[in-house]
Amino acid sequence: MIIVKDLHKKFEDGNHVLRGVDYHVRQGEKIVVIGPSGSGKSTFLRCLNLLEVPTGGEIWFDGQLITDPKINIDKIRQHMGMVFQNFNLFNNHTVMENITLAPVKLKLMGREEAGENALKLLERVGLKEKADSYPGQLSGGQKQRIAIVRSLAMNPRVMLFDEPTSALDPEMVGEVLEVMKELAESGMTMVVVTHEMGFAREVGTKVLFMDEGVIMEENTPGEFFTNPKCPRLQEFLSKVL
Amino acid sequence: MQEWFEQVSSKFVMAFVEGDRWKLYIKGLGVTIEIAFFAAILGLIIGTVVALMRLSVKRDGRKTLWSRIAGAYIDVIRGTPSVLQLLIMWFIVMKSCKNGTLVAVLSFGINSGAYVAEIVRAGILAVDKGQSEAGRSLGLTKAQTMIYIVIPQAIKNVLPPIGNEFIVLLKETAIVGYVSLTDLTRAANQITSRTLEAFMPLIGAAVIYFVIIKILTILLGILERRLRRSDNR
Repeated sequence: MIIVKDLHKKFEDGNHVLRGVDYHVRQGEKIVVIGPSGSGKSTFLRCLNLLEVPTGGEIWFDGQLITDPKINIDKIRQHMGMVFQNFNLFNNHTVMENITLAPVKLKLMGREEAGENALKLLERVGLKEKADSYPGQLSGGQKQRIAIVRSLAMNPRVMLFDEPTSALDPEMVGEVLEVMKELAESGMTMVVVTHEMGFAREVGTKVLFMDEGVIMEENTPGEFFTNPKCPRLQEFLSKVL
Repeated sequence: MQEWFEQVSSKFVMAFVEGDRWKLYIKGLGVTIEIAFFAAILGLIIGTVVALMRLSVKRDGRKTLWSRIAGAYIDVIRGTPSVLQLLIMWFIVMKSCKNGTLVAVLSFGINSGAYVAEIVRAGILAVDKGQSEAGRSLGLTKAQTMIYIVIPQAIKNVLPPIGNEFIVLLKETAIVGYVSLTDLTRAANQITSRTLEAFMPLIGAAVIYFVIIKILTILLGILERRLRRSDNR
């Protein structure tokens, strides 16, 4: 579904963050990406929907070369949901408006249909009664669950998660992971950058270890955690587990 | 004491009452407000457009030609005195136009636009980058993200400095006497030379400016509070 070939990203300040990443995400997979900070894992994820424009390599999504400068990236992004570390709910809109804004403005749904759909999704994450609240009135966990719903309202083919629980108070991590687990069970293709090793082990179909701008190791969760091969990963796991 | 009081009141009568001179202040104030009002609107429009031009980047992150043009405009306007801009507009650019008010509105509007552009640019940059990233990640276009998400939040940021810019603009119109318009300042000046008494007309004009700007400040304060309220609902 997503094919990444020899992806490079060098920032203007000369920081060469991605140094040749190759990967193939298949339909229905739940890819969990872990690694130390500065390893390039967030940049890798942000390249997938071109929030960061790669400086080299190719990304294919459903058979389309999306790194081609002529492609209409807005159309592509409609099919790729993204959840951010800092939630990024639209502060000037209610929860309901946050969820319906994109489908309505992009003329994918009428206002009413979008509203009904939003309520259904809100119910799924247990936040139906917050429909008319503003983001400023919600807790971090609630914001993140709504951010997930906002992405789902576009009926994406794949969901990208950029450290979705890193900015949360510890007691709120569980509620967000719960929603993500349900989403995984529903068959959604997911790419998740996270520090939650429990989640990686339980939900991931593949776990990737990134460091120094490349994928150093890739394996099924069982093998990945019990039998790590490269020394950098062994060292990393010994510190975080 | 009695004598002093009589002196003051006779000067007051001379400056404001005799020959219906108060009408001249009112007329002058009308010209001042007319120019300031339309120049402020023009400045807001120019400023917003120029700010968006200034912020435009190519796909690879480099500045566009639009951005360079906007930058040059801001540089030129901020780098030259507004009196000179007014004179250049009156004697050179719009030489054949006999409508002084129109020339003044254009000149001040173009001048204010440069300052408003920098205010708006700062206001847009102050909106968390994550807001526009979230918009774009949903498939909204750049323009849609700006219109529905970034600009509404930027307006709250820019209101205080924009209010300040309006106040500066209102006072700066005091130089339109250079292009033979009779605004409040020039009216006071003319009355001074006719009555050979400077105190009352000049202080009087100063008080009028002060009161108008005080009212403007209060109105802006109310607007600002109203926008903030919707923030924390």
